[in-house]
Amino acid sequence: MLNEQTDEQLLAMALDGNEDAFTALYRRRQAPVYRFALHMSGSPQVAEEVTQDVFLFLLQRGRGFDPARGAVGAYLFGVARNYVRRAMEKSHSEAIMTTPAEDDDPSLVTNCDPVDGIARSQTSRAVRKAVLSLPEHYREAVVLCDLQELSYADAAEALGCAIGTIRSRLHRAHEMLVRKLQSSAPARAGFSSDAARCLS
Amino acid sequence: MTCREFVEAAESLTPVQLRLMQNEDEVALAHARECATCGEWLQSQKLLGGALQVLRTDTAQCEAGPQVEQAVLRAFRMQGFEPAVDERPERAAPAAWKLSRFFELGAYAAVAAALIVGIFLGARVWRDRQSTPVRAQLPAATVVQPDNSEKTALNGNSKPSDGGQLEMARGSANGATAKSVVSSAKRPHGVREVATAAAVDRQGFVALMFCDPLICSGEEEVIRMELPGSASSADGSQPVVADVIVGEDGLVRAMRIVN
Repeated sequence: MLNEQTDEQLLAMALDGNEDAFTALYRRRQAPVYRFALHMSGSPQVAEEVTQDVFLFLLQRGRGFDPARGAVGAYLFGVARNYVRRAMEKSHSEAIMTTPAEDDDPSLVTNCDPVDGIARSQTSRAVRKAVLSLPEHYREAVVLCDLQELSYADAAEALGCAIGTIRSRLHRAHEMLVRKLQSSAPARAGFSSDAARCLS
Repeated sequence: MTCREFVEAAESLTPVQLRLMQNEDEVALAHARECATCGEWLQSQKLLGGALQVLRTDTAQCEAGPQVEQAVLRAFRMQGFEPAVDERPERAAPAAWKLSRFFELGAYAAVAAALIVGIFLGARVWRDRQSTPVRAQLPAATVVQPDNSEKTALNGNSKPSDGGQLEMARGSANGATAKSVVSSAKRPHGVREVATAAAVDRQGFVALMFCDPLICSGEEEVIRMELPGSASSADGSQPVVADVIVGEDGLVRAMRIVN
């Protein structure tokens, strides 16, 4: 019954005191919010804190949500973005990103096939580091569009900018990612410098 | 297809989409095969798409732990929610308040506009009253300001007062030289009302033209003039002295023959 409701309907019911509706909305939306915070911060702890803060914010300020301005999902990403920014300012996320122990974080690496798993985990780790080293607004675009598979319109809504801005940020971010991956593992990844030069 | 067209076409696709691009865009793929630079760019984007795909797959199952859900639900239960039934009238109230507020603001605006118009008109009337009355543009006559000539004029004295300024003005009337001795004085409102109310008032002024009291607002001047003797039909030897009441618009309202 509740699974058939839209996010907006669930939010309205939750704000009227319906706990089941709130639980359903939480279970539907917590994972994307968590992953967004994880990709943005690189820290599972920060991601959990941000997820909790986002839904507490929804409880307290949820009545300020205007369906005419966008979907609940984009609204939550926008709130999460602000909390990630605060958390990173507080905990000096640059230090977190370069922590050696964090490279082996089990939450970000899967171990499926032992043979293929090594190369796969190396690739995943290299891309994760490259994404985390991007400037914040480029990282937001990559995380939302490339990793969360949001459309350009939804990403623009979440970040509060124009679609053209998202396009240009993505273009620039991809260019930077290619360069970073070239410098990290050019032989394995097969990235060439000519390809990056072609874009610039 | 040029390299620029290729890049423009490819930019609309994400690296993952580029990676999955098979034979949908044959022209672009053909260009990538022909152009080494574009081919390398396409290859690098495909590799980037593959790497992003790996990261996305690896983190696809990531989610917040159960302790987060418990904490959020605990906060939900502690949150005081008002029943939805009680909120309905509250939602209607702000709408009514907004409506009354709209009319209230409109009333304020109307009062402010009325005040502005009133101030503007008051200032204009005050300015009109402060302005100097228009002098009569009479031919062959110059307006002077005697100090006590009004009394003299109203009493029918034919001689101009000693304190009054006299001025001789030259003018021509019917080809002859005319001498005019002119004296003027401010005439109070009471005189104007008498002059306009009846054709002949007690001081002997004869109304020369129909005068609407509304038009004849303001102060008039009594001007003593000396007309050439030829103007008189009785005796052409002596000049005729007359008092005329000149309105502030320069038009003569009434006239009295002094001698």
